[in-house]
Amino acid sequence: MSDRTAATGRRPAARHRVVITGLGVVTSIGTGVDAFAEGLRGGRSGAKPISAFDTTGFAHSNACEITDFEPEAWLRELPADELGRAAQFAVAGARMAVADGGLTEADVRARRSLVSVGTTDGESRDLDHLTGLQVAQGEDTLDPVVARRVWPGRLSAGIVRELGLEDVETVTVPTACAAGNYAVGYGYDAISSGDVEMALCGGADALCRKTFTGFYRLGTIAPDVCRPFDADRQGILTGEGAGILLMESLESALARGARIYAEVLGYGLSCDASHPVAPDRDSIARCITAAHANAGITPADVDFISAHGTGTRANDVTEVGAIRQVFGEDLPRTVSIKSMIGHTMGAASALASAACALALREGFIPPTINHRTTDPECGVDCVPNEAVEADLKVVQNNGLAFGGNNAVLVLGHWEDERSAVA
Amino acid sequence: MSTAAEPRERQLVISGWAVSSPYGLGRRAFAEGLLARTAATAPVDTVKWPVPYEDAGLIPGFDIKEVLGRKGTRSMDRATGIAVVTVGELLEDFGRGLAADPEKTGLVLGTSGSVQSIMDFTKDALTGEKPYLVDPARFPNTVMNCPTGQSAIRHTLKGPNVTVSGGSATGLLALNYASRLLRGGHANALLAGAAEEYSVQRARLERVADHGGAEADPLGEGAALFLLESGDAARDGGRQVLATVLGSRFRAFPESGRAGAALARCVEEVLADAGAAPEDIALVAPGTPAGLLGKQEESALDGVAGERIAVRPLVGDATAASAAFQLAAVLAHAGARPALVDRLALVTALDRDGTVGATLLRLG
Repeated sequence: MSDRTAATGRRPAARHRVVITGLGVVTSIGTGVDAFAEGLRGGRSGAKPISAFDTTGFAHSNACEITDFEPEAWLRELPADELGRAAQFAVAGARMAVADGGLTEADVRARRSLVSVGTTDGESRDLDHLTGLQVAQGEDTLDPVVARRVWPGRLSAGIVRELGLEDVETVTVPTACAAGNYAVGYGYDAISSGDVEMALCGGADALCRKTFTGFYRLGTIAPDVCRPFDADRQGILTGEGAGILLMESLESALARGARIYAEVLGYGLSCDASHPVAPDRDSIARCITAAHANAGITPADVDFISAHGTGTRANDVTEVGAIRQVFGEDLPRTVSIKSMIGHTMGAASALASAACALALREGFIPPTINHRTTDPECGVDCVPNEAVEADLKVVQNNGLAFGGNNAVLVLGHWEDERSAVA
Repeated sequence: MSTAAEPRERQLVISGWAVSSPYGLGRRAFAEGLLARTAATAPVDTVKWPVPYEDAGLIPGFDIKEVLGRKGTRSMDRATGIAVVTVGELLEDFGRGLAADPEKTGLVLGTSGSVQSIMDFTKDALTGEKPYLVDPARFPNTVMNCPTGQSAIRHTLKGPNVTVSGGSATGLLALNYASRLLRGGHANALLAGAAEEYSVQRARLERVADHGGAEADPLGEGAALFLLESGDAARDGGRQVLATVLGSRFRAFPESGRAGAALARCVEEVLADAGAAPEDIALVAPGTPAGLLGKQEESALDGVAGERIAVRPLVGDATAASAAFQLAAVLAHAGARPALVDRLALVTALDRDGTVGATLLRLG
């Protein structure tokens, strides 16, 4: 990556380098950056029977549910019942990211900032609840407290209100299961252009009946666990959580002596414009290439890929096909942390970004767990079952979504001793 | 976002627009109704729409299959239909040449999705013979990016495809998102705007929302979309510059009583960035929310010159599409009055969940 400085200077619009200095994560394998890192390194599994809703009548019903989340532990300003579960996750993640970044709320308040939160379902868990009330008690029955918190804008607005931010642009990005990468990419552009100094970006979603039922009906819910790239893979497990990244310009991070997890080198977006649910190989390949160009890297620079890796028959083959189209036969190791935390929907690529940032900082590649035999049709080294130590420079994080919405993020290693040429 | 220092050819411009509104489909119906100040809200047929409201701003006679045909519309919901139709209109009228480069043309659409689709799907799961006997073709409708993705599919937009949401500020947030994508080199041209559907479940949910202590306005629906590109790209494509986007500013307010001060700061900053003064503004399209927020907006705009264009009192509360309608109203006025060329227009939005925003345009 000796060409990185040159690469960053490639586009005249990119005036600032952008780094990640804080992580906030709520996941089924651990809440908080240390627990999450330990979970990733240890190959922990979040799979368990669903308790979020009644699963009577489903032949199988595992998910990566979070069973130990206490909103009161994180909310200091807002009453818990003002926020749906997804917004509670998002707010908890933001509080963690700020603290992990060595900042106080006042520090963040003092800067012009962006809050962008991706989601697939928003507060669909609350909409499930309201629908249940209508079915049980009549069409016009409504719980007004729940009804007021269902709009997706509240995921990002919740963070802003809880932290008391005022000089801030607040936006929710409901671009389905690639939304986390969209939100982080937006933060990158906002900081890089000099529009804002700091950003809290990521994604959040809560387990809900609606989404479990939809995937079940499509035949894509695994009966036991999620096995990405495995010959016997049977689909996804739905999951929940939030990943929020504290991002700032390199100057800002250096000036305050912040610990830097990773540099955001760039990202790419593409749309299949072909099918609402079936991913398109060429379009994903185009997205990867766009991300590399935006980051100023070549495929040879990439040390591992955090795949979208849902574990369905179709996704994994199509995704690896797209990667092969860009990288040729010499593929970097390609892992899926969905094997551990399930498919957390709008949080998925945000949590994967957090995992990539940890991997770059600590020098390891998270494993793909539950793995038995690699599907020859995929043919990747998915780092089966055990994390490996690795000296990493550049990591690629894939996000793919319904609607043919692809977003690929590229993160780079930050060496503390490197001279600060911004 | 500052654009004052930017060379004119790199400034971002609006070079086309399309609208589907309670005045009907198309720009003409919208411009005529708006300029004549005709109310587009009307008593709602409560047999078809069992809603807790007397009036509504519905797109008159809007039927997806009639407008788009039967192919590919079996499972299409109203929000998606409105978006697909409006995107189609924009491309048909202004998209010449863009089709040659579908990978560099994308869509940033503001929407809260279809709560009706989400709740209908869950209802089927709760009332069906088996809990999983739902219509799989309707599952993508329950995800909020469905209108955006379907618009790309129907019209072959392969560039960035982004869904954004932020209540009444959504339209301005979408325009700003698109501006950043263009400046970041992610596309050459973007369709940006917002869409909202009328539905029974939305009406029920909105009924209990916080309307600043006032009675809720009638709900409206529709979409407004804008073609955003650099001035150079517009000229190369043979498109007229309808407005230059000078910038947008957003802030948050911790309580409704401070929304006005926050908006005033946005206006001040967006003007300062553009090197303009409050008295340069010829047109203001405010959000005019009900109750306290509306009063806060009035006080924030107190020192701002310019004729006020009220949109919401005519078309209803179009929530996610409201700020996009305001922007469309500015273009409708500018199109009818050549004297507005080179004058400034301001669009403001206040969302009940705490966001205020202001977008400044130079007309013509």
